[in-house]
Amino acid sequence: MNIFVRLRKRNFISYISLYIIIFLYSLAILADFISPYPYNKQFRDTPLCPPTKINFFDKNGKFHLRPFVYEYKLVNPSLNKYEIDRNKICPIYFFVKGERRKILGLFPSRRYLFGVKEGKIFLFGTDMHGRDIFSRVLYGARISLSIGIIGVLISFFLGFLIGGISGYFGGKIDNVLMRLVEIFMMFPSFYLMLALRAVFPLNLSSFQVYLLIVIILSLIGWAGLARIIRGMVLSIKEEEYVLSAKALGIPTFRIIFRHIIPNTFSYSITAITLSIPGYILGESTLSLLGLGIQEPYPSWGNMLSVCIGNLRILSNAPWMLIPGFFIFLTIICFNFLGDGLRDVCDPKNW
Amino acid sequence: MGKILEIKNVVVGNEEIKILRDISFEVEEREIISIVGESGCGKSITLRTIIKLLPQNLNILSGKIFFEGLEITKLKEKEMQNIRGKKIGMIFQEPSSFLNPLFTIGNQIEEGINEKVEKDKKKERVIKILEEMGLSYNVYYQYPHQLSGGMQQRAMIAMALINNPVLLLADEPTTALDVTTAFGIISLLKNLILIHNLSIIFVTHDISLAKYLSDRIFVMYAGIIVEKGPSIEVYNSPLHPYTQKLINCLPEKYNKGEKIKTIEGEVPSFKNLPLGCPFSPRCEIKNKICEKRIPPEIKIGNRIVRCFKYGNFMES
Ligand SMILES: Nc1ncnc2c1ncn2[C@@H]1O[C@H](COP(=O)(O)OP(=O)(O)OP(=O)(O)O)[C@@H](O)[C@H]1O
Ligand SMILES: [Mg+2]
Repeated sequence: MNIFVRLRKRNFISYISLYIIIFLYSLAILADFISPYPYNKQFRDTPLCPPTKINFFDKNGKFHLRPFVYEYKLVNPSLNKYEIDRNKICPIYFFVKGERRKILGLFPSRRYLFGVKEGKIFLFGTDMHGRDIFSRVLYGARISLSIGIIGVLISFFLGFLIGGISGYFGGKIDNVLMRLVEIFMMFPSFYLMLALRAVFPLNLSSFQVYLLIVIILSLIGWAGLARIIRGMVLSIKEEEYVLSAKALGIPTFRIIFRHIIPNTFSYSITAITLSIPGYILGESTLSLLGLGIQEPYPSWGNMLSVCIGNLRILSNAPWMLIPGFFIFLTIICFNFLGDGLRDVCDPKNW
Repeated sequence: MGKILEIKNVVVGNEEIKILRDISFEVEEREIISIVGESGCGKSITLRTIIKLLPQNLNILSGKIFFEGLEITKLKEKEMQNIRGKKIGMIFQEPSSFLNPLFTIGNQIEEGINEKVEKDKKKERVIKILEEMGLSYNVYYQYPHQLSGGMQQRAMIAMALINNPVLLLADEPTTALDVTTAFGIISLLKNLILIHNLSIIFVTHDISLAKYLSDRIFVMYAGIIVEKGPSIEVYNSPLHPYTQKLINCLPEKYNKGEKIKTIEGEVPSFKNLPLGCPFSPRCEIKNKICEKRIPPEIKIGNRIVRCFKYGNFMES
């Protein structure tokens, strides 16, 4: 608990970032409940519909306590022109009934956080298939945000283990492990990623692809980290407090994991938070090339990939870029958080 | 009184350099030994040899070390871990860098506790020993950087003593401290002998302090122990020319207004040591033989000295 208080005192921006990150993750977890529509629900009559405006005043200037939306009607399909029908008021309700879905895959429910009884509500607009972008962003967060965390955990586990052992024991072990690391670092990571992906068949289920991406990304990530950890361990093991721990008769593995590794935290915590965005972007890159998470399941990366190179969308439907904003927000929050955590990890700053 | 430590003809170094050459001595129960000598003569290396924590590039090349009758030169690293901190405690030269900055003092000392006891018991024990060292129990919760040098040194001593070792290796525990604080630490160490029933090897370059504190003094020069004997005798009538000069240079031996005396010449570097007695280049009474061979240990009464002046070598 202490760490939150310290974070707030020392680095307010990173404290706020922490809350934004927590908020984003809870959106991802509760996507089934918060999103008004399923991620694959297509509204064929409203493709590329702009974000629905939420109103309190109707066309006569009368105030409504309950916010409402108007219906959007496609008037010119070739130009994608929409008109707002101001005659029909569709009030927004909490806990409205909709299609049956399982919340968190466990609890079947028909009620969602908010929605409309008549008409439709697309907070972030729709894509060319008429799917609600807001709902898809929430579902996509599940992929994009968890890939970062899981990937980082795997590659940090490998990095600490291999870097720690290599640096501490040195000699032959170090030699062998570092050559292994160099093999991984030898290839430009982008091509390594493509090559690794190419080894596996294309027709995998979404879940398999997901696992595959996590593994590929962490296989790429751990090598550089292991090298850095090794370097730090190499210098920290010469520190005098390590000698005095040895003089106390503390066993070797305890020295590595209690005295040496924690002293790399001021660096590695920052590195961890700074590398999460890399995983999110890595997934987007794969999706962009059609090798990532496959439609209809959304990830922030594959939602963006549809717009890239499609000028019609970029000029007519800029709301399709909203997933990009979320990637940006996540990255910047993790960066700030990493900065703050580094300060907080060092007792000298307390 | 029995011997608790016995070092026989130990040589430490690697292919290129020998840092310690033919070191032999023993330590009795409840004895305080001082090792004195100029900076760089190998005092710290001697202590680190005893607990087998030498720098990576240095090794024990020959010789034997017995601790409580056990030949520790033969022990494996795992077995040494059961001796370090439990039977032999060590206090280091520079307390601020020898404490891990990430953990509280209490945490670090507790970690060293050997037996499997509950957390509460451990804490009690740590606080008790901190108080014995003249520190308040608050120190338990503090981080190293929040303590002064003297407090850190006391915390180090507490850490070294937490398992009631029988031998304490103290590497210049007072050099970094002011006179009053240093004096506090010294009286603490003297008291510890009475309470904890332990022997101390105390490293210092202050021979007057050594005389005040210890039973015996070992004088070291360039990796060789040149003189060993009871403190008062060594101090009052030094045998080895190096010890004589060292004592002559002490400030308390000066008359008012006299020029500061130093020993002429320089400490030889370990890379190119003289073939014979390492002190011979600076020695005023040297002979031919001094430049050819390293003098053997010569016993004179209670004392042992390594100088060709004694015995009947000079003629040959
Ligand atoms: N790892 C090492 N490799 C080679 N030489 C070393 C190494 N460590 C120490 N030495 C050398 O060994 C000699 C003795 O070092 P030691 O630290 O024992 O000196 P000391 O007597 O404790 O000096 P001080 O009073 O300054 O602490 C020094 O001359 C040093 O250059
Ligand atoms: Mg030293």
